[in-house]
Amino acid sequence: MEANLKEKLDNIFYPESVAIVGANKVPGTVPHDIILNILKTDFQGIVYPVSPKEKFIAGVKSYDYIIDIEDPVDLAVIVFPASVTNLAMKQLAEKDVKSAIIISAGFKEIGGKGKEREKELVEIANQNDISFIGPNCLGVINTDPKTSLNASFAREMPEEGNIAFLSQSGALCTAVLDYAKAKHIGFSKFVSFGNKADITEIDLLKYLKDDPKTDVILLYLEEISDGRKLMETAREIINETGKPILALKSGRTSEGASAAASHTGSLAGSDEVINAAMKQSGIIRCRNIEEMFNKAIAMAYQPLPNKNRVAIITNAGGPGVLTTDAVIEEGLEMAHFSENTQKTLKQSLPKTANTKNPVDVIGDARADRYKVAISQAMKDVNVDGVLVILTPQSMTDIKDIAQEIAKVSQQYSKPIYTSFMGEADVAEGVDILQKNKIPHYQLPEAMCYAFSTAYSYSQYEQTEIDRTEFYEDVNKEKAIQILEEAQQEGKEVLPEYEADTILKTYNLPVPESSLAHNKKEAVEFAEKIGFPVVMKIMSEDIVHKFDINGVQLEITGPDEVKEAYETIIENVSKNKPEADIDGVLIEKMIPEGQEVIVGVNRDPAFGPFLMYGLGGIFVETFKDVSFRVAPIDKTTASQMIKETNSYNLLNGARGIAKKDISALENVLIRLGQLANDCPQIEELDINPLIVLDEGEGCYIADATIIL
Amino acid sequence: MGNNQINERVKKVIANVLDLGVDEIDDDDNFIFDLGADSAQSIELIAAFEEEFNIDMDEDKALEIQNVSNAADFISEHL
Repeated sequence: MEANLKEKLDNIFYPESVAIVGANKVPGTVPHDIILNILKTDFQGIVYPVSPKEKFIAGVKSYDYIIDIEDPVDLAVIVFPASVTNLAMKQLAEKDVKSAIIISAGFKEIGGKGKEREKELVEIANQNDISFIGPNCLGVINTDPKTSLNASFAREMPEEGNIAFLSQSGALCTAVLDYAKAKHIGFSKFVSFGNKADITEIDLLKYLKDDPKTDVILLYLEEISDGRKLMETAREIINETGKPILALKSGRTSEGASAAASHTGSLAGSDEVINAAMKQSGIIRCRNIEEMFNKAIAMAYQPLPNKNRVAIITNAGGPGVLTTDAVIEEGLEMAHFSENTQKTLKQSLPKTANTKNPVDVIGDARADRYKVAISQAMKDVNVDGVLVILTPQSMTDIKDIAQEIAKVSQQYSKPIYTSFMGEADVAEGVDILQKNKIPHYQLPEAMCYAFSTAYSYSQYEQTEIDRTEFYEDVNKEKAIQILEEAQQEGKEVLPEYEADTILKTYNLPVPESSLAHNKKEAVEFAEKIGFPVVMKIMSEDIVHKFDINGVQLEITGPDEVKEAYETIIENVSKNKPEADIDGVLIEKMIPEGQEVIVGVNRDPAFGPFLMYGLGGIFVETFKDVSFRVAPIDKTTASQMIKETNSYNLLNGARGIAKKDISALENVLIRLGQLANDCPQIEELDINPLIVLDEGEGCYIADATIIL
Repeated sequence: MGNNQINERVKKVIANVLDLGVDEIDDDDNFIFDLGADSAQSIELIAAFEEEFNIDMDEDKALEIQNVSNAADFISEHL
């Protein structure tokens, strides 16, 4: 990252001196509690309260203004009301303070005047080379004992740990801290970045990439400002450091998506786009806080599994079966023990015990029996991880077993996860596990889900888009020229005929066609193209031609052409009388094949993205679609196709001829290039794209472009 | 009432609410930034001005008043 920003963020996380600007003596208020938080967590630096009224706060000498402090100040935490924050920023500039945290609310989030105030704040900061976190945030915590800083109004400093948490929401931070406290989850850095008017999640991610105290990064986002940059940064972090990034992100409303004009638009809620973008950049998306921490502790506490073969050790049959089910459902495998393991287990466990996987050490098992079984499984080369189940029975020495697990875990470089089932009786054991950084899950299903995520992450091969696979036989200038001319003419929807001319510039497979303006021309063109032909109404006022009976198929001779021409015009006059008709398109009839839909849409944060799915009239009913941010390479195109349930239809299921998947992949790659090159295209639908048998290619049967 | 008189009365009100001496208050002093008023005291100040000068101050506009001069100008316009 940029050296200047790194230095400023170092000042925020590792300051040697902190000024609290706008502090007061009123307990229970933010300006007061922040001072106390800094003092009571043994901050390894100097604290300067700045308050125009007080001579001292919490026994520490207070200054009227920051400029009155004789020594240099590394970090200013502004807690003044919003109305005077900008005055405070100007004094920071005078004092040559380069880093700040602005806790104060009353900026962009309240709109109107607040928005103007934030704009002015950014201007002052930029003019004076000040970097700041916030405004409207909870603050920053760094548990590194070198600094030990709690510059926030969270109730308590969390334990030290190797997980960093970045959050746009301050309130969520306090909930997360409380949740984590109960489970002994520690943090390296904890940041509430609020309105991110200056320092953004991207800057913080880049900083954490090089933070030796952070092994896992958690991110809560309400709004993504630069999706492409987020993807690029995540890729960089995962490629270079292997640190997993887990994100919690709420999606755009489905109402927003349903307002879109095209199929692609209506099928693409932001959730799908965010999922695609995160998948493409290696970010693990979580649905809720619990899932996020379940996965985070797995990856932060234990080594990643090399493969997916697990051993289950349990003291009860039922939970063993439940866990086995969950293992299979999560795509993991039950390990087959080596002969040596089986022999040792048979010798060490009672005769009634099940020595095959899942190993049942029997209800009366105490710590020694668990120890033998777990150690043996950990030693076995056929085992990649151990899942320990415990149910609290009268003779179960829960605390001893927990301690034994912690000891065994340190002896091997394989992951061990636990599920002590129950709540009250197992609490003390769970506490021991959590303090010893052994991932614990109340339910075995959650344990298996976390293992599966850790395994997938370990197998994730982060690659950049292979741009060498992009096609060079495309005419970007021509496409842009046609699109710009259409925009100048005030067109918003390009009918098929015009859409085809653009698709042709990217060598997309458009069947031969001509636009007829009367019956005579229609016959001429049909004879030139060769029968059978398809005839379609062309009007920028008509997006869905089938809905108004504007299409006639399988026309085999001149008389039929004339008849079809009349029928189409009649249908349009009846069903869409206000439509301005450009003509009737005469197009080569495409042979039968598998109908699929491909499309392009644009997301405010991630830009152009592609959609692929099963086509035809049921596309919105089945929603069997996949998404990726454009452009894409062949590997990604292949993933998009395989991800849908309808993949088998293309891949020769039940004796159907295998379809030309390679040609389909090429269409997706070319379309991704077109979407990325031409910002004028707001939405694009190819529905259907007809995929013929293997080696025969595919054809665009209908396309619409929305500008 | 002359502007000077209003100014002096404004300062007295501020001194009373913020527990300061009148001579500690300058015309350009920001209630919060220079005189240390907290959020509650900022609202108390408005109420005290209304009572002292027997006027009604629109809340949004009143909260934009940040120093003695602003307050005196606003009050003289509304007397």
